[in-house]
Amino acid sequence: MAEISFPLPDLGEGLLEATVLEWLVKVGDQVERNQPFVEVETTKSSVELPSPIAGIVLTLHGEPGDVVLVDRPLITFAVADDSAGIVGTVPQEAAPKRRVRLSVVLDED
Amino acid sequence: MAPRALDTLPPRIADAAVPGPDQLRDLYRMLTNVRQLDTSAVAWQRQGLIPGYAPMLGQEAAQVGAGFGVDKARDFAFPTYREMGVAYTLGVNMVEYMSTHKAIWHGGLYDPVATHFAPFQAVVGGSVLHAVGWAHGQTLNGQTLNSSSTAGLGVALAFLGDGASSQGDVHEAMNFAAILTAPVVFFVQNNGWAISVPTEQQVAGGSVAARGAGYGMPAVRVDGNDVLAVLDATRRAAAHARAGLGPVVVEAMTYRRGPHSTSDDPGRYRTLDDEKIDGGEDPLSRFRAALLERGMADAAFFAEADAQAQARADEIRDGVVDLTSRPGSEMFDFVFQESTPTLGAQARQWREESEHV
Amino acid sequence: MSETLELVRETPLLQLSMQQAINRALGEILEHDDRALIFGEDVGVLGGVFRVTDGLQQRFGANRVFDTPLAESGILGTAIGLAMAGFHPIPEVQFDGFAYPAVNQIITQLARMNYRSRGRLPMPVTLRVPSFGGIRAPEHHGESLESLFAHVPGLKVVSPSNPQQAYHLLKHAASMPDPVIFMEPKARYWNKAAVDLADDQDSISLEGSVIARPGKHATLVAWGAMVSRCLQVAELAAEDGIELEVLDLRWLKPIDEAGLAASVSRTRRAIVVHEGPHTAGLGAEVAALVSQSCFDTLRAPVERVTGFDVPYPSGDLEDEYIPNIDRILFGVQRVLEYRRG
Repeated sequence: MAEISFPLPDLGEGLLEATVLEWLVKVGDQVERNQPFVEVETTKSSVELPSPIAGIVLTLHGEPGDVVLVDRPLITFAVADDSAGIVGTVPQEAAPKRRVRLSVVLDED
Repeated sequence: MAPRALDTLPPRIADAAVPGPDQLRDLYRMLTNVRQLDTSAVAWQRQGLIPGYAPMLGQEAAQVGAGFGVDKARDFAFPTYREMGVAYTLGVNMVEYMSTHKAIWHGGLYDPVATHFAPFQAVVGGSVLHAVGWAHGQTLNGQTLNSSSTAGLGVALAFLGDGASSQGDVHEAMNFAAILTAPVVFFVQNNGWAISVPTEQQVAGGSVAARGAGYGMPAVRVDGNDVLAVLDATRRAAAHARAGLGPVVVEAMTYRRGPHSTSDDPGRYRTLDDEKIDGGEDPLSRFRAALLERGMADAAFFAEADAQAQARADEIRDGVVDLTSRPGSEMFDFVFQESTPTLGAQARQWREESEHV
Repeated sequence: MSETLELVRETPLLQLSMQQAINRALGEILEHDDRALIFGEDVGVLGGVFRVTDGLQQRFGANRVFDTPLAESGILGTAIGLAMAGFHPIPEVQFDGFAYPAVNQIITQLARMNYRSRGRLPMPVTLRVPSFGGIRAPEHHGESLESLFAHVPGLKVVSPSNPQQAYHLLKHAASMPDPVIFMEPKARYWNKAAVDLADDQDSISLEGSVIARPGKHATLVAWGAMVSRCLQVAELAAEDGIELEVLDLRWLKPIDEAGLAASVSRTRRAIVVHEGPHTAGLGAEVAALVSQSCFDTLRAPVERVTGFDVPYPSGDLEDEYIPNIDRILFGVQRVLEYRRG
């Protein structure tokens, strides 16, 4: 597993900080890409931030009410090492699905 | 049209001496032998002895000068199908060389490892990259053996023509060689014609040597009909590469005085007048005149050299006549080092069902 | 001196992905063969776009593992020259579809140099090609080149289906004196499985095909990523009372004719499954071989479940193209219900 941290992005034009309103995930949660993980409030608005990757939450950097600075870590994920190559995706292993049933009378000699 | 001068090789590295009288006479003998053998091979085709041949008439100085300029013991030539003069100069057995023109075996019967002359093949530009790989191998060997500082590197002599310069592989080869600082001399014989297409319709910018600059590679454009100029350029280029300074382009400006091959008809794309004007002075008579002028040879020497060349060509002809077909089983023998059950079964079937048991 | 010596052999059994197994094999090859070289696009500093060569340049230096300019023909041509100079090149072409620019060097030079030189210039070159589809990649990243290369005299072609085979077959290929095209099924790069690193086991055969699952009613012939899919099909067929044998062909040139004949002569039915297009695909060769060796015992014509005669489609459509479980089951059904007219 590898750790990847994401900093608080600049949510407006030249904003310096935001206040954590509510964490929508907790440490240990498996988060999917684009899943909202935090609600923050800036001087302009309050927004939910979508996760940029899929992974397991390792650290939440701050409690509700805390001020987080832009470009400082906001959340840290543990992600699988076996990420895909430079193109393409890692195929998902799923239980085999079928529609076809074999139906024959075998008249073996 | 005099070739535009171009010489971006750094000042001469300590090098073999300027050829002395004996070497000059040797060079003349080689040129004469090559001319005689080339002319003979065309005749053999007309006599039905060989099915085809790619004449190099007019390119004797370029080829003998290049072959004479390298170290037979440690350098390696990667020829095209029109490098008979290089093969001769490097000491390749000419019956074994000519065997490919007698349709005995693709690539000829000579031993490429012993002769340092790769088996030639027909894909234009196809072997130029091999020269780069082989040369990079010399660099790696030198680093492994820690001997590059003393003995210098073996140099790959990659032969190509103005036509081949259009191939993507030649670009890739020059780029790889420069990136790898590989000891390669790209020896371009610009003979004016790629079968029927003249250089001006082939080489954008007009010069293959000029492309060296784009690769950060020194280049020399040389009068390819002047054997001493070619020899000097080759030696300088090889010394540069040998010293580990990377590849060099030598563009020898020459002229294909004959057809592309024995089945080509140049009358369809150029006139005899064109050939006279564009061909310039014959490289052989030019060197003969130079030797006479310097007093290094006389009529008796030339007569003897001519007679020797004739005798040598006759001897080679006898060898070519005597060449017999290889056993059909060799079709199967050399596909792999370790053959496969499938191929073994095919060989057995061939043996059972054909007359060549 | 050895009367008390007890030979305790360590047989390290590791859980590795195919990508890790190949990486490990490459490291061992470089360690034991000082003429072996690895080169290609992004194989050095980056460690390959699939991380297959990860860490090898740090371990063995930039002379043994090096990045080349972005030119596949150049990579192959340089490999040929290095082989002429006595090296054992293991070049990588980054993706199957990028082997096409190198096809000239592969076919006209690499495959023929031993022949042309009458055995004087062997070509111990192992060309690694991440191959086949299934990862939703862009165009030219999902090609099946086996029938193209199997058709070329002078080449050997192999494709492993799992980490264990990848590890051993790659080491074997790299020790061979002839050119081998090593087709790595990239859709299987990440699946972990037990790898027995011991070389001297009887159970590790390096030549020919292997029976991945025994069965008696029909043989599924497959290679690369299609082997695991056929194993899934066999599992499902068992629910219906049908026992399918899965023959992992592995070597696509030379094809293990004896192993193929032995399996099909027992099961008397064969379905060949591959990702590549149908017409003149390797399945046609398999079908011809089976019809020749098993004509008298065959209960049905050999069925081919393959990709279609279309350019490899975009990621969204690749599941429609690559033989899926149902299409394979349909093929099995056709073979099983066939009756002589």
